[in-house]
Amino acid sequence: MEAKEVFERFSERESFLVIGRSIRRFDALDKALGRAKFTADYVERDALVVKVVRSSLPHALIKSINIDEALKIPGVVAVLTARDIPGENQIGYALPDQPLLNDVKVHYVGDPIALVCAENEEAAFKGVEAVEVEYEELQAVYTIDEALSEDAPRIHGGEDNIAVTTRVRKGDIEEGFSKAEAIVEDIYETPYQEHMYIEPEAAYAIPEGHNKVTVIGTMQSPFLVREKIAGILGWSLNQVRVIQALTGGAFGGKDDMGPLVCAKAALAAVKLRRPAALIFDRDESAAYSVKRYPARIRYRSGADAEGRMTAAEVDITVDCGAYANRAPFWLWRMTAHAAGPYEVEAVHVDGKAVYTNKVFGGSFRGFGDVAMHFAVESQMDMLAEKLGLDPLEFRLKNVLRPGSRTTTNQLLDHSVGMEECLRGVAEASDWWNRRRRVKRTEGKLRGLGVACAHHGISTSRGAPDWSAASLILNEDGTFTYRTGICELGQGSQFGHAKIVAEILGAPLESIRVEGPDTDSTPNARPTHGSRGLMLGGSAAADAALRLRSRMVKVAAEMLGCDEGDVELRDGRAYDRRRPENSVSFRELAREMYIRGVSPAAYGFYAPPRRYFDPETGLGVAYPVYTFAATVAEVEVDPETGEVKVVEVWPSMDVGRAIDPLLIEGQIHGAIAQGLGFALTENLIVEEGRVLNPNFKDYVIPSSMDMPRVSNVIIVEKPYRHSAFGAKGVGEPAIISIVSAIANAVYHATGIRFRTLPITAERLYRALRGEKP
Amino acid sequence: MLRFKLNGEWIECEAEHNETLLDLLREKLGIKSVKRGCNVGECGACTVLLDGRPVNSCLLLAPLVEGRSVETLEGLRDKPIMRELIEAFVEDGAIQCGFCTPGMLISAYSLLSRNPKPSEEEVRRAIAGNLCRCTGYVNIVKAILDASERLRSED
Ligand code: FES
Ligand code: FES
Repeated sequence: MEAKEVFERFSERESFLVIGRSIRRFDALDKALGRAKFTADYVERDALVVKVVRSSLPHALIKSINIDEALKIPGVVAVLTARDIPGENQIGYALPDQPLLNDVKVHYVGDPIALVCAENEEAAFKGVEAVEVEYEELQAVYTIDEALSEDAPRIHGGEDNIAVTTRVRKGDIEEGFSKAEAIVEDIYETPYQEHMYIEPEAAYAIPEGHNKVTVIGTMQSPFLVREKIAGILGWSLNQVRVIQALTGGAFGGKDDMGPLVCAKAALAAVKLRRPAALIFDRDESAAYSVKRYPARIRYRSGADAEGRMTAAEVDITVDCGAYANRAPFWLWRMTAHAAGPYEVEAVHVDGKAVYTNKVFGGSFRGFGDVAMHFAVESQMDMLAEKLGLDPLEFRLKNVLRPGSRTTTNQLLDHSVGMEECLRGVAEASDWWNRRRRVKRTEGKLRGLGVACAHHGISTSRGAPDWSAASLILNEDGTFTYRTGICELGQGSQFGHAKIVAEILGAPLESIRVEGPDTDSTPNARPTHGSRGLMLGGSAAADAALRLRSRMVKVAAEMLGCDEGDVELRDGRAYDRRRPENSVSFRELAREMYIRGVSPAAYGFYAPPRRYFDPETGLGVAYPVYTFAATVAEVEVDPETGEVKVVEVWPSMDVGRAIDPLLIEGQIHGAIAQGLGFALTENLIVEEGRVLNPNFKDYVIPSSMDMPRVSNVIIVEKPYRHSAFGAKGVGEPAIISIVSAIANAVYHATGIRFRTLPITAERLYRALRGEKP
Repeated sequence: MLRFKLNGEWIECEAEHNETLLDLLREKLGIKSVKRGCNVGECGACTVLLDGRPVNSCLLLAPLVEGRSVETLEGLRDKPIMRELIEAFVEDGAIQCGFCTPGMLISAYSLLSRNPKPSEEEVRRAIAGNLCRCTGYVNIVKAILDASERLRSED
């Protein structure tokens, strides 16, 4: 990047104009006034209602699909099946194992078979009921062990039910264990977690004239959605226009669901030449949309007498459910983080992801790192106890520091704030005193737990990643900024605007952000992997720097000074030596237009190339890592087994804080989701059927469940290759809270849970001597 | 013909006997601030005021509002209490995706209308039926307390 020096110059500014300050985000007001438009708010009354006919069996061959009765229902316009797909009936993400509409075989209860398109919802529901599917039932596979057994039916053909495998071989594992004074080994299991975004998945497709379709929907990767729709329709990319509407929470789930819902709506709209809307019902969303992948981890690790980690041997199995979807990425992420944020000489990891006949897993905040760290952080506590060390002290001896090497032997030469995060929460929570003090209060058991986290930003395995953005200086001195990074609640786009404002000295209100529209916004690639700000924002910075150099050049001529003396601030260009000599951006813009100096810039950013060897699992797995630590205090009611999280102390190394309030928001939200995952969120799946697809029985935290959250400790260890040094913050906080709670429960009760969630019922039984 | 007061004005419209107030508001009357998160009374995204009390409009059959008063954010946003709440929500980072926000604001409005000086516990209780998956409620609770503070210092 030619702009690298300028970057550095900006990063070293003594005080920033807008970076690092909490500023009210500009999209909040429309949301507060109820004017913000979500997908369902775009749907016109004459749009067709689309409902999905789903498999009622977990594993079966489809013998026939009879739509005749459905078509007789007044208001039903059409029933679309695989036969109506003009392009390729394939929507798989990592592997081509997933048809959009199944006509040969179904793989889980809820697998889509047909689309009923009707004038109204009632007719659509009746139509769904009336479609007759004749099946030949096959033996179904529900658990990892069943999937791996010799005689298990092969869900997707092939030799076995293994979708993908991974491995890491670092150091001499035998030697590592021989040096160990303490060794612990255990098996950890983490369940599904349902996203339960308050807005269910939705898509609205409008046919446009001759062979073009516009799709407005809930998503995180507009360009992926476009590609998948084009594939289904057999069209070229420029025949499909995808617009991401404001999205009511996503957390990864809508990354995976975006193509699935949008392609169905698009198919209906194109086939029937009418606007068509597919909006999931809550139970549909909760039962049939992707979930956090369940995983099982066998973990054996050891530390020497000084309390240094010597070896970790890890065996991971991810339960994919019916389709691979993101499993290869999920598994690689777990694999590459298997040693946790600690320096461990010898690490062996083996991973596999297996198919079962259940709802398929997919992206969810923290990706595989929540499960991985649950195992790691439990092990760390157990090792510390065995060695007679304080668990926080033990972690401090082992945390990754500048110069350390990760699980995959990646050298971390800078931007490593793990130790500062951990010391920060230790101090804030008064760890050593509080840990001794807490115990019994009025019959309740109290405990204090700590956990660390690290999370690689962007894509795994050194896969190339990049991002783009565009910026236009309008004739009146305002800016139009375009990004393909989605607004999902996290406020990335606002972060981009702040970066642009900082570089251009432009008032924030003079910058208007236009969100993803594949016909006009550059491809910023997905809004996932906590990359929206780091990658997208760096592309914004690149665009701003390019435009800046042209603005400075013209301004210098207008002001009759050296380019080096031009200062951009408050929407004006000043001659630094004679500040009374200045021009407004409006005047500057006009001059640029007249002179034919381009007022538009295309920003592009790619982190440095990385090398990773998938055979040994060694190399640079991610450009950079975000680090986090959390201390949690819990109170357990021995009468009911209920765990109440009393207070939480969070910290995070964010590289550079672009907006502390946005960071705080991400951390608060992640704490709530992590608390739910640790304690209450319990998706019940029996014989492939989700039995509690609703808020009543799948309990996410309410305002009554939230602990006191202490001030977020922000550690800033800037990353050299991103705008202002920022790293991603969306995911890491959910990783450490889960384990901190589990460790606190152990401290309070002496009971270690190796599976989640720690529901009141389970704890109640465990307190009475049953095996947890 | 159904007749009721919507945001202070009497209106007349058709409503099916099995139509919910949420459907009526969103689909027929174009009141889009009222959101559908679950349609079964479990998330609070569809909260409106019925005769001044917060209710889940997805659970209420439209014909039952005959002769009564229904208020949504569209009608409430200029009221002093709501203005203060909106300001505080924006200022304090109480809004992320914004999907729960209208319902949340209405529950908060109802609380502050009845109880200008709520405790933190009372605030939490008042919004217990409004689920938010993004914010962890921390800044929402803070915003409601801030708004109540500011309203009190104003008079
Ligand atoms: S939509 Fe009415 S409570 Fe959820
Ligand atoms: S802000 Fe997203 S659900 Fe509350």
